[in-house]
Amino acid sequence: MERCLSCRSCEIACAVEHSQSKDLFSSLREEPRPRPRTKVERDTKLRTFPLQCRHCEEPYCIDACISGAVSKDPETGLVLLDENKCVGCWMCVMVCPFGVIRPAKERKIALRCDLCQEREEPACVTACPTKALFFGELEEFKEKFLERKEISSKVKV
Amino acid sequence: MDYLIIGNCAAGINAVEAIRGRDQKCKITVISDENYPAYCRCLISNYLAGTHQEENLLLRERNFYKDNSIELILNKKVESVKPENKRIVLSDGKELKYDKLLLATGSSPKLLGVEGEDKDGVFGFRTLNDAKEISKLIPRTKKVLIFGGGLIGLKAGYALKQRGIDVEIIEKSPRILSQVIDNDSAEMVGRWLMENDIKIRTGLAPKKVLGNKKVEGVLLDNEEKEDCQGIIIGIGVRPNIDLIKDSKIQTHWGVITNQYLQTNVENIYAGGDVAETTDLITGEPTINALWTAATEHGRIAGLNMAGERKKYPGSIAANSIDFFGLPIISLGYVRVKENGYEEFVRRQPRMYQYKKIVLKDKKLVGAVLVGNIENAGVYLALIRRKVDISGIKDILLEDWFDYSKVSELLEQKEGFRETVSLQGDLVKMA
Repeated sequence: MERCLSCRSCEIACAVEHSQSKDLFSSLREEPRPRPRTKVERDTKLRTFPLQCRHCEEPYCIDACISGAVSKDPETGLVLLDENKCVGCWMCVMVCPFGVIRPAKERKIALRCDLCQEREEPACVTACPTKALFFGELEEFKEKFLERKEISSKVKV
Repeated sequence: MDYLIIGNCAAGINAVEAIRGRDQKCKITVISDENYPAYCRCLISNYLAGTHQEENLLLRERNFYKDNSIELILNKKVESVKPENKRIVLSDGKELKYDKLLLATGSSPKLLGVEGEDKDGVFGFRTLNDAKEISKLIPRTKKVLIFGGGLIGLKAGYALKQRGIDVEIIEKSPRILSQVIDNDSAEMVGRWLMENDIKIRTGLAPKKVLGNKKVEGVLLDNEEKEDCQGIIIGIGVRPNIDLIKDSKIQTHWGVITNQYLQTNVENIYAGGDVAETTDLITGEPTINALWTAATEHGRIAGLNMAGERKKYPGSIAANSIDFFGLPIISLGYVRVKENGYEEFVRRQPRMYQYKKIVLKDKKLVGAVLVGNIENAGVYLALIRRKVDISGIKDILLEDWFDYSKVSELLEQKEGFRETVSLQGDLVKMA
């Protein structure tokens, strides 16, 4: 968390990755406009960090989804949204305790992090200039964290 | 072990999955009085609006029942339950034996209780069949009257409007959504609906349904006559408890359950719209007839039926809806009638933006969000966890309010669900 400079490169990378062209300049003219699924937030101690879907163990959003669009991948444990099934009822927005599911402004679907399924490493992690973001298992993070003896980042599991 | 589940919707299906997850060998039977595999009941308005086909409504894959070795009995109503000899009686007189039973019978629309209500063209709005019947009527319909300005009535009206039908909502109380949101926001939503050409009249009730065999109009209690070709009743629901009324299973409004969703009979559980559980905010017994609650009931009841001892934390009133692109979310206790509550409101009526929070004893107990609903779940988490928010109540209504502002408050509290905290440690999350 100390490494995050709040440059919001992660937000841009996320929006571009979820655009049709996957190119920064072309995506600017796309309709609907590409939107990020991660957001840099600032807490009461003025620390900043990007926040996105935590892929909870027991996700509230799955219980709440009225169209069966949200499910947990039994192998990876990722909580994913089938955008074709999503009807934009905002039930998941209503129950997500982290507030990381947001309504798409131009479309009637919910936006949420899918950890960039098509990539080896999520776009936000690649884009982070200060390596404040880490992608890997919690144990792996803890090991690195202990080695470096410094608070470095937020984990994605 | 024979598991029997009466009801084939959110609670029933989630119970099935929970039981099957723990026991691959047991026999599971699901009984439904409808003729479809489980479907998303909340989407029947999308079906009526024409945006969804029947195929898109399926709650699970087509082969769900086969893959999970579930015996599915469709189109059969359960007449009665006999806990003494662990049997149920079906409408055709056949009896079925069970070891563990789940009552997930749902609820039925209340009737208007006026003359002529049995005419062709008067509908409830609860099942896929209701939506299909109403759909059939559309070609020869110009105008539909909807009685009840609650969620069901408004969703039906919104759907019909999308099909080009003239819609008029008639609500007995002075405003719409009177059970869901507060006065101010209801006024705003009403204005939005009228701007989108849905007519709303309040303080009126029907006296008589007019017509010969088919509905031709309604006589209202102010002696005014209104022409219409169809009527939808959305004045509320009542839990389907007729099947156990002569049994020893205890009922109040619905089936009384304990914190394991068990009834007073040890091997009988209840879940979904029929189950009366504890309200998380008031601590009083209540029925929060919500999809979210039903799903959770089903899963927890299923686990407990299969031998676990998992507690159900209680239900919370929480609704989300979107009409013509205006999102509305209501959480917890929002219609304040007594003293002892603090309310903070931010409204921009012309922009259709509204935010209200309700506090009691330094804790958030309710919120209404109209227009901008981002971070709604953070408010719900604060309500659920009963966090002391007196230190941050000034920023709760700001548009820049988000999870990070309360992360420390939320992570201090022990909850029920596991997730990962910002610091990377496994924490319990309510």
